[in-house]
Amino acid sequence: MDVNTIAWLILLLPLASAAVILLGTKKSAGISALISTGSVIATLVLSFLLLAQPDTAAAKPLQWLSLGDFEVTIGLKLDSLAQGMMIIVTGIGTLVHVFSLGYMHDDAGKARFFAGLSQFMFSMTGIVLADNFAMMFIFWELVGVSSYILIGHWYDKDSAADAAKKAFLVNRIGDFGFMIGILLVWVLTGSIYFDEIAKAIGGVQNANLLNAAVLLVFCGAVGKSAQLPLHVWLPDAMEGPTPVSALIHAATMVAAGVYMLARVSFLVGAAEMAADTIAIIGGATALLAALMATQQNDIKRVLAYSTLSQLGYMIMAQGLHDGSDAGMFHLYTHAWFKALLFLGSGAVIFACHHEQDIWKMGGLRQKMPITFWTFLIGTAALIAVPGTSGFWSKEAILEAAWHDHNYLVWGLGIAVAFLTPFYMTRLFVVAFLGKPRTKDADHAHEVSPIMWVPLAILAVMAVISAYITGPLEAKGHVAFHMSLTAILSLAGLVVGVLAGWKLYAGCDRDPVNIKLFANKFYLDELYLGIVRLFQDFVGMTFDAVDRYLIEPITVRLPALAAMSSGYVLRLLQVGNLQAYGFLFGLGAVVLIWLIVF
Amino acid sequence: MPAYALEIIVFSLGLVLLLVDAFAKLEDKRSLAWLGMLGLVVVFGLLFKVEPRAADDANVFWRFYSDSRMSLFFKGIAILSTILVLAMAIDYRGLIEKFTAPAEKKAHPQAGLGEFFALPVFACAGLMCMASATNLVSIFVSLEAVTITFYVMVAYMRRNVGSLEAGVKYLILGALSTGFLVYGFAWLYGITGSMDLAEIGAALKSGDVSPTAALFAFSLILVALGFKVGAVPFQMWIPDVYQGAPTPITAFLSVGSKAAGFIVLLRLSAVFLGSEAVAGQVAMAFAVVAGLTLIVGNLTAIPQSNFKRLLAYSSIAHAGFLLTALAAAPRKLEAGQLSSATVVAFYLGAYLLMTLLAFLVVGLVRVHRDSEEIEAYRGLGKSSPFLALALLIAMASLAGVPLTAGFFGKFFVFQLAIQGGHWWLVTLAAIGAGAGFYYYLKVVAAMYWDDPTGAAAKAAAIPVSALTRAAVVTLIVLIVIAGFAPRMILGLIG
Repeated sequence: MDVNTIAWLILLLPLASAAVILLGTKKSAGISALISTGSVIATLVLSFLLLAQPDTAAAKPLQWLSLGDFEVTIGLKLDSLAQGMMIIVTGIGTLVHVFSLGYMHDDAGKARFFAGLSQFMFSMTGIVLADNFAMMFIFWELVGVSSYILIGHWYDKDSAADAAKKAFLVNRIGDFGFMIGILLVWVLTGSIYFDEIAKAIGGVQNANLLNAAVLLVFCGAVGKSAQLPLHVWLPDAMEGPTPVSALIHAATMVAAGVYMLARVSFLVGAAEMAADTIAIIGGATALLAALMATQQNDIKRVLAYSTLSQLGYMIMAQGLHDGSDAGMFHLYTHAWFKALLFLGSGAVIFACHHEQDIWKMGGLRQKMPITFWTFLIGTAALIAVPGTSGFWSKEAILEAAWHDHNYLVWGLGIAVAFLTPFYMTRLFVVAFLGKPRTKDADHAHEVSPIMWVPLAILAVMAVISAYITGPLEAKGHVAFHMSLTAILSLAGLVVGVLAGWKLYAGCDRDPVNIKLFANKFYLDELYLGIVRLFQDFVGMTFDAVDRYLIEPITVRLPALAAMSSGYVLRLLQVGNLQAYGFLFGLGAVVLIWLIVF
Repeated sequence: MPAYALEIIVFSLGLVLLLVDAFAKLEDKRSLAWLGMLGLVVVFGLLFKVEPRAADDANVFWRFYSDSRMSLFFKGIAILSTILVLAMAIDYRGLIEKFTAPAEKKAHPQAGLGEFFALPVFACAGLMCMASATNLVSIFVSLEAVTITFYVMVAYMRRNVGSLEAGVKYLILGALSTGFLVYGFAWLYGITGSMDLAEIGAALKSGDVSPTAALFAFSLILVALGFKVGAVPFQMWIPDVYQGAPTPITAFLSVGSKAAGFIVLLRLSAVFLGSEAVAGQVAMAFAVVAGLTLIVGNLTAIPQSNFKRLLAYSSIAHAGFLLTALAAAPRKLEAGQLSSATVVAFYLGAYLLMTLLAFLVVGLVRVHRDSEEIEAYRGLGKSSPFLALALLIAMASLAGVPLTAGFFGKFFVFQLAIQGGHWWLVTLAAIGAGAGFYYYLKVVAAMYWDDPTGAAAKAAAIPVSALTRAAVVTLIVLIVIAGFAPRMILGLIG
């Protein structure tokens, strides 16, 4: 197969699968699930074939929009960045699909769920392979829609429907900035194609405008990668089925922001002030999310905040000089072990009859040994135990911050390195060790192979992925130097784990109680207050203007005029033949007079 | 095979149907309709096999007849609509039987049904002739062939007062308009000395003809053809006749009769617009009539509560858009610009699809719900989702929602009017299109949002025969294709 066929197949197979399911096989859930899983396995195989392509590869573009001399194409860029990202997306996608076969086995909306997954795979692939901003934006929005559909999968549950709505709306805010950013970049460089922007960026004179443009583009990443201040949707998004959380809200979609920044790293590099802002926002998100994670009791929420925190790391890296590669490296390793942790939590939730509170679990070590060991490996990778993949990528980011002399950001990163081992140890000790605290936990037993095999594969990847970086080779460095950073992060690991163990081993209730962290710094409440203020005061004003000024003049009046003239004209239709004949004749006379004279 | 063979075949087909009806003792006369449809499908296929006129072909026939791409396109429209009308007629036969069955007890209940299936075929032959007519005589003869067939078909349900009343109104006003037409033709012959359109055009262009006389002839013709297409102020017959006639015939009338009127109007207006002396006045007349028609058609449709009547006003409104295209006919065609003939042909093609689709559903609802009021459509989205979807698409296309055929029809008209700088016509057309969204979507709202009342609440799903289903699906597909790829249709027009 030539490169065109491969690339287009990768993009279109998931779309075809979604279409076939929604239009055809929706009634037979089993077949739908197999179609969707088959399509993702096929794209995984194709993504491996793609690895053979050189860094400059691209597929023949398809013209999509043509306005005068401005043209937008749907083109596929197949460089090593895209190749590596495709392996992550399709690889984790495959495992999540397989896991879902077990997890969603008895779900009433199984076909719809798998159609949603396929639709997501299509949208995500579009982002990864996009060679221009317009196309990326389209798929960016498509990803938003798929995420909405999947978070709201159990739409009859109010909390799920609300969470889906929240995710969509919060993302819209970021996307709006993204759109303006794209337009600004277009104005500044005269192109929306990444290659051409990279060439033209040196010629941009107006540094302020460039900074603004980059920050606006970054807005998109803030929304999609859930950075401060738009992070609020991600924890709520955990209302979706757990495989969705693993695929979309941990490994792939939320990484899209990071990927996008890596894609345009030449832009970020050219805008000094914007880059610093990006790094600080990333670092702040990492720290705040880690603090929030220490006081959450829902197993998925803990993982959600840890995802936020890790995404903060990656975004932070994008804002550093020479940090982009380290960020992508962390994205790559994080995708595997975070998917593992989420699927592991899914297995736990499944086994405990959909119980998510860690204080109602406990003692799962004996009940679910495979899940226990794989979860342990995932945790080890997340808290960066030397030798695991997470260790190498996190070190790379912290080193990049140090070498950038960006000590504020570096300090934030180090603080997170202390917190992560702490809250993960807390989660692990409470959920898996000790005695079962409820009946559900007591009756838990190991999940079926269709669910634990993906866990096992992911566990292997969680350890070794740093050593087989494939197309991302240039971006990952498995090298260790003794430095202040390394010492501090190792110290963080030891201190964090010991503190977590000391505090939580054998506990039945949370001995620590920090309201501020448990309530997520009251940010949700703050936003709610702001929104309410807008609705109540600003909204009321606009409503009054609309209701009493605009509507009567522009809506009611013309409508009334049209309606009443309709009624009047209708009166002409008397139904009497003589009258018709008379009007006919009159019309003829008037017309002749009008034309001839 | 030359193009005129098609008309001969269709005309013979009509005769065959009559003969079969008269001599074969058919138990179920539906087979006549099937035979007719089959024959027309074959003729439709032959349309693509037509050979252009040979250079040395000196047949006298060609003096009356043209086989341009445009006329073939209009022939296609005629055949397609006749096939669909026959399909509709099969579903509608129950009502026809009810109002035509002979009084004697022993008589076959379908005794009066046979001609109902044969007449549309004759009308089709007439329409096809008209599509090719290039001579005042052939225009007049084919136009009357169509109109007289319609007189019969409109009044076909002879025991139904509404149908009879419609027939009488149509006959009398139709005769009146024919008088105007003949008078106009006579003037045209008188001042130019020719019946041939090309020669008349040349005579008008030469400047030897009195412009006043030419304009007088034109106004007489415009009055007559305005009646045929339903232009204001000659539209009065439309609501009453549409409402009274059997639904398949109403559909045929709105599509066939309108297409016929516009073919002739296109041919004749080209002749007048070619002459410097009268072109300005002619375009002005078109613009006045178009503006009036847009306003009256669209605004009067707003308060209608009877769906068939609503469609009648919609038919007037669409005539307004079509006349706008004529009024905005560019004097000199620039590269890439669509001629107003092309725009009118496209619009008529789109109009055919969506109107027939709407009438298909109207006919079925009339037969099974015994009502044509919009109220009867309440809850149709639940009880008959397939028909409701079909009607939804028809309404969307009639209103001009993008990605339907109707959208591009309106789009091209607007484009033409804007290129010509006819801003006040554009304004009126925009008001009309806006009103259209209201009254078309009113039906959609009734189908999907309103709870059914009375008998409709308990009504079961309307049964849809395989033939009707196929017709509906075909129309929907065509509407969507024309909405996505209008160039394909434009290519057919040539």
